[in-house]
Amino acid sequence: MSQPLLSTALNLLLHALAVLLLPPLIPGLIAKVKARMAGRTGPPVLQLYYDLAKLSRKEAVFSRTTTWIFLAGPVGTVAAVLVASLMVPFGHTPAPISFEGDVILFAYLLGLARFLTVLSALDTGSAFEGMGAAREVTFSALAEPALFFGFAALAKATGSLSLAPMLVGHGLTPQAQGMGTAAHLSGPLILILAGWSIVYLAENARIPVDDPNTHLELTMIHEVMVLDHSGRPFALVLYGASLKLVVLGALLVDLLLPRLAHGWMNWLMFLAGLGGLALAVGLVESMTARFRMTKVPQFLLAGVLASAFAFLLLLV
Amino acid sequence: MPDITLILLAAGCWMVAAVLPFVPPVKEGRLSTVVGALGSLLAFVAALHALLSGHASHVDLRLWLGPVRLEVDALSAAFLLPLHLVAGLGIVFGLEYWPANLAKGFGRSLRFYFGLLVTAITLLFLLRNGLVFLMAWEAMAVSAFFLVATEHHHPEVRHASWIYLVCTHTGTLIITASIILLAHRMGGFPWLPISGAAEDLDGWILLLAVLGFGFKAGLLPLHFWLPAAHASSPSHVSAILSSVMLKTGVYGVLRVSSLLPTVPAWLGGALLALGGLSAVYGVWNALAQRDYKRLLAYSSIENLGIIAMGIGLGWTGRATESPILAALGFGGAIFHVWNHAIFKSLLFFGSGSLLHATGTRDMEALGGLAARMPRTALLLFPAVLAVSALPPFNGFLSEWFLYRGLFASLKGGYPWSAGLALLALVLTGGLAAVAFARFYGTVFLGSPRSSAVDHTHDPSALMLGPMALLAGLTLAMGLLILPLLPVLDCIIGLLAPSPGGLSAGSLAAPLASILGRDLRLLLVLEGLLLALGGLGLAWLGGRKVRAKAPPTWDCGYAAPTARMQYTGSSFADGWALALPGVTRRVRTIRRLFPGPQTFRLKVVDAVGDGMVVPWFGRLAARLLRFRRLQPGFLALYILYLLLALLAVFLWLLVRGRFLA
Repeated sequence: MSQPLLSTALNLLLHALAVLLLPPLIPGLIAKVKARMAGRTGPPVLQLYYDLAKLSRKEAVFSRTTTWIFLAGPVGTVAAVLVASLMVPFGHTPAPISFEGDVILFAYLLGLARFLTVLSALDTGSAFEGMGAAREVTFSALAEPALFFGFAALAKATGSLSLAPMLVGHGLTPQAQGMGTAAHLSGPLILILAGWSIVYLAENARIPVDDPNTHLELTMIHEVMVLDHSGRPFALVLYGASLKLVVLGALLVDLLLPRLAHGWMNWLMFLAGLGGLALAVGLVESMTARFRMTKVPQFLLAGVLASAFAFLLLLV
Repeated sequence: MPDITLILLAAGCWMVAAVLPFVPPVKEGRLSTVVGALGSLLAFVAALHALLSGHASHVDLRLWLGPVRLEVDALSAAFLLPLHLVAGLGIVFGLEYWPANLAKGFGRSLRFYFGLLVTAITLLFLLRNGLVFLMAWEAMAVSAFFLVATEHHHPEVRHASWIYLVCTHTGTLIITASIILLAHRMGGFPWLPISGAAEDLDGWILLLAVLGFGFKAGLLPLHFWLPAAHASSPSHVSAILSSVMLKTGVYGVLRVSSLLPTVPAWLGGALLALGGLSAVYGVWNALAQRDYKRLLAYSSIENLGIIAMGIGLGWTGRATESPILAALGFGGAIFHVWNHAIFKSLLFFGSGSLLHATGTRDMEALGGLAARMPRTALLLFPAVLAVSALPPFNGFLSEWFLYRGLFASLKGGYPWSAGLALLALVLTGGLAAVAFARFYGTVFLGSPRSSAVDHTHDPSALMLGPMALLAGLTLAMGLLILPLLPVLDCIIGLLAPSPGGLSAGSLAAPLASILGRDLRLLLVLEGLLLALGGLGLAWLGGRKVRAKAPPTWDCGYAAPTARMQYTGSSFADGWALALPGVTRRVRTIRRLFPGPQTFRLKVVDAVGDGMVVPWFGRLAARLLRFRRLQPGFLALYILYLLLALLAVFLWLLVRGRFLA
């Protein structure tokens, strides 16, 4: 009795630590990969930690047009994504909180984060930030069906509506189907992975949808919304963005991980998976250019179609 | 005292409140407000008691047309609650919003018809006799017509109210047909649940009911009267029209279906599809509107669509005897009826205080109101989140019920319809967030776009009080759902009786057994969300605004003006332009240093103004031919009467001779 309780408590602690401390590492890894690909040394992997520490000591400047809504964006994003992270299993370690229907809460919490960010961008009354906000809502309304079709496919495959069994117990991996090699990834799983990868790039404002590194380009989406944030609110914005990279990344990584014998092996496997994802994002960003704005909806629609086909394959 | 007596007393109070402004010494309407609010309080408490105790109470009257039963059961109580919540708060709100003694404001007639409307709807929910039900329905429809036409010196208001009147009467015709068929099936106008085997007629009765009541509920092809009517009426009237009168359509459909022994499965699927279409269409149109009251009206179409989806799901569950589907579908529908009533009346009250302060319904003229009307902005914030179905507010939970139901039906045999409905619900959620981020952002945030904003300030406590109560309820209903589950079960029991009849109990599984554990964990997470939000705000330490705050940085642009902000139209560009019915005219810029340019965006309702209204126009032109029969000579009309009588006699003669 005490043994499972102990391991549950340990897992909970590890989950909380991973959620709180790990995220700023991922953008650092991606930046490092990009720098190496470009033949540069690049900033240290821990750069974002330093940035956060510095920003949290700095004074924040508020424009005279802003109101309290301006703070609701950063705070709401971090709070919503932190709560959402509690429902996501990290690898084969069970999620701290898991219930039927948590997947909907998960998706709508991400929606809440986006809604508040958009409002705090509009609060500045700036043309740039309004533009970013308009683009964000336009594209995310397309990304949401892609995410949901993937969820629907997994719900159909597992008969469950809870993230933990859906992501790790979907039975679509080769081991579960008794096929042995990774060469035989099943069709729906590939389609869901493809659809969600597009969602991942779009939701986290990565190339080819968006470029997280520049501010002044007219093609920006996410970065332009947070132009006027500074000091602690901006630290929350940066932290929230990295948190989203981890939480949404866990969705992708979980789909693929095999179950290992020991708890600690599962943890290591998950961390390795996240690292691999960061590597993949870095490679994609190094090798592709950002799309023109008119191409982005088509790209997202491709994601919707991929997930929708996964769902259709599981229906028939 | 039995609940029914209290509710009838409340209806009496409202009638008195309607007449009081015409009694000479009490012209201001303060007394009438007190009487009306008191009536609503009585009815609210009685309905709550009826719902919690689970006992139906009734009185029987004998009118000249037969026995009439007035009964308050769980279903009636479920609809009486939002009615009297919104009506009571609405009349208090109206006291300052639309004073009775305005020189030109038709304040007294507004109060009269408001009282009449509330009385009629109250009786509507109680009556268990088809014929009298129709009378109450008509009283409601006509008083709503006069309410919509309050500002009848504006031509567009007259136009909107006429269209409303025509539509509601077309709907009434279809409802009459349905009720006559129902009377034929039951052998009389009194409504008693039909036991025994199903007949083919049942499907037709229900189909006619869906069509007729669908006019009132604003389901897709029959919705076109709604945006203009809701936009042109005074805001507290819009609140009651949108959050209660539309629901009378829902009530009618549910009541008729609860009387029938079975519901055909195809009708459930059809209503699910229709609801999904209405929801997506409504919200898509909402995000293209410039007039914020029209936006709210379109959002009502969306929400009624969501409710229809719930009912469709529940009917599917009832037809296939699936306890989970029935519970989740009906539970979600009823819960959304309540939630929509709360947040939509809050939004309409809010739009009332905006209109009161600025005098314009055009979003593009506003902006920066959060700094000038901070209380209104704060109170509308929960409503905007709730209507976009975002946690931890109430709109999220009712959609969560529906999602659970749709996924259950995905597992349990209706994968295709569930998949499509799921897509509709997801799109609705996403687009609602666009529409309401646009609403809130354009109206309250940024800097003012015109001089309409110059001298604005928050309204007084009489208008803010009702809004504050509703804002509290949006959060409370989201967090205190657990005690409501048995109450919902009670209502679902009426809607989904087990095949053995009402006495055999409910077909649906108790909600607490399906959802209890999940909801508890969900609420823990929502509580955590609020706590984390509070912690985060505390860490930021409030806004220490310096004495001379700088302007928005905006990439260092030197001279930003308010006109450079994103407007509401440009914000929704991505989705609105894809909407059929939206046309945009922009001249292409051909040379360097172009002169001033114009831009024109026109939004018409593609289904209503684009298809249905022209179709009716053509039909009317055809029917004009019969005008010749009506030349205006009294003698000719008497001849028609004689001819008709003769024809009847001939028919009787022929039938007696040959067919007997």
